[in-house]
Amino acid sequence: MNTPAIEITGLTKTYRPGGEPAVDDLSLTVEPGTVIGFLGPNGAGKTTTIKIAAGLLSATAGTVRLNGHDVAARRSAAMAQFGAVLEGSRNVYWTLTAWQNLIYFGRLKGMTRAAARSRATALLTELDLWERRDDTVGGFSRGMQQKVAIAAALIADPAIVLLDEPTLGLDVAATRTVKNWIAELSNDRGKTVLLTTHQLDVVEELCDRVAVIRAGRIATDLPTGELLAGFRLRDTYEVHVEGHPDLPVLPAGFTATAEADTTAITGRVADPREVYDLIDLLRARGLVLRSLTQSQPGIEDVFLTLVGDARHG
Amino acid sequence: MADTRTLAVMGAEVHKGLRSQLAHPLGHVISLAVGMSMYLGLQFVMGQGRLREDLLPPTLIAIGAYWFLQYSAMVMVADLVEEKRGGTFAQSQMSVAPPWALMLARLATASLFGLVVAVAASAVPAAVAGIRIPWNAGAVIPLALLLLDILAFIYLLAAIAVRSPMVGALQSLFTALILLLNGAFLPLSLYPGWLAGIARLLPTTLGIEAVGKALFDGLTLAELWTSGALPWLTAHTAVLAVGAALLFRRNHRVAVRDGHLGQY
Repeated sequence: MNTPAIEITGLTKTYRPGGEPAVDDLSLTVEPGTVIGFLGPNGAGKTTTIKIAAGLLSATAGTVRLNGHDVAARRSAAMAQFGAVLEGSRNVYWTLTAWQNLIYFGRLKGMTRAAARSRATALLTELDLWERRDDTVGGFSRGMQQKVAIAAALIADPAIVLLDEPTLGLDVAATRTVKNWIAELSNDRGKTVLLTTHQLDVVEELCDRVAVIRAGRIATDLPTGELLAGFRLRDTYEVHVEGHPDLPVLPAGFTATAEADTTAITGRVADPREVYDLIDLLRARGLVLRSLTQSQPGIEDVFLTLVGDARHG
Repeated sequence: MADTRTLAVMGAEVHKGLRSQLAHPLGHVISLAVGMSMYLGLQFVMGQGRLREDLLPPTLIAIGAYWFLQYSAMVMVADLVEEKRGGTFAQSQMSVAPPWALMLARLATASLFGLVVAVAASAVPAAVAGIRIPWNAGAVIPLALLLLDILAFIYLLAAIAVRSPMVGALQSLFTALILLLNGAFLPLSLYPGWLAGIARLLPTTLGIEAVGKALFDGLTLAELWTSGALPWLTAHTAVLAVGAALLFRRNHRVAVRDGHLGQY
């Protein structure tokens, strides 16, 4: 049996004695080569878990093993297993050039200078940053800085990549670049990626598996397809009628919203016959139907359902 | 002890530190200029309009020690606080090398800048005013202990910086006290006994006294030991070094426990 890439067992973190745990007896096993989306509302414990995995925070109880190396007990070996891009922080030195940053972070992970140089050359070329390798990162755009941060996380070619909100604050093009990279990391290079993001389309597109964390505990942990399939038992239907007429009392689960020159009636139903009943009702009133669309729930619908009313930003 | 890989990481940390510091050289150039000009101005005021030749040699050693401490501490603390606020400190901690080794490497970088300023702040006034300092091999050990004493104090400040951004205020307070009391204005022998006693508690003072006794009074190492100058200096340095190491270990552990390693 393969050693899991990430093995979190009974992880608990309480910041103040007697306080609410930020992470509460959380267990998660991630097999090598998996891209796992780690989702949850703000304050759910995502970043706390990632920081413990990265050795930046100690656990109150439980363990995190990276490729079998306990982060707390075998710190040096564990640090060599991963690269990380952390949320909300400057991940690279703005006063250094892209090249200098990559060499430095490679050496921090124990690479020889020659190995770091060779790998930095490859990464900067792949990221279209080679021409600007000698420019200081402080002068780069946000997207380019994030590219350098991701390259720095990958400089030692780690088996595991921890990405905490890697697309936060990026424009569409930069987000696309980062998404492509994450896909390539898993598909072509067999990396294990633990990804937190609030951009759920990124999760839906990239993740093999989704773990939803709520109040420090795993609420759901399923392959992405399986998670969505479970929710697709109830599809969303949207009926548009012409104008803004007085509507009859709608069947349970349907709501009406006035749009520019139509009224949209939307509902999630398990049985399509409920939609026929709605249409009959509207026809009986003599209303003109403009369109009927059926859509399956996306990861955002699933996420919102799983975390209840918790707001996410 | 550090293995080869740790030493290589420390080398990379020093290299990065030097590059980061030299990215904005103007601040260092200004500090060099201030360092070179301050001492003679200070002695001119203390000598009431003239340079007193009897005071210059001992105070020159004190001002050199002060600048080494002041500038190394400033580079170390400012760099740490800025990195903690920015987020790169957390990134640097995800290394295969232990945290203490990374901190020692930062100390090495800071002390290089401190050394340059200290040498310039001593050598230029010495050349301008023709200050001659006799050499005695017996001064080597006290001089080494003086440097260690200073480095231990800076490591102590770094240990505080790991947890608190208020370290800047402490740094300012202590460097001001050291400048006032370590003998850079007047030799310690001219101070009242009680004030000299307080001054000896501060970093650098005991080292400057011991070095002065070796250089100007010609004391041998054995005589420095029997006079009490060397034992006190050794004890001061040892207490400061062990205290700094323990405080760093504790503060790092607390910062990791409380989630403040990456930010205050």
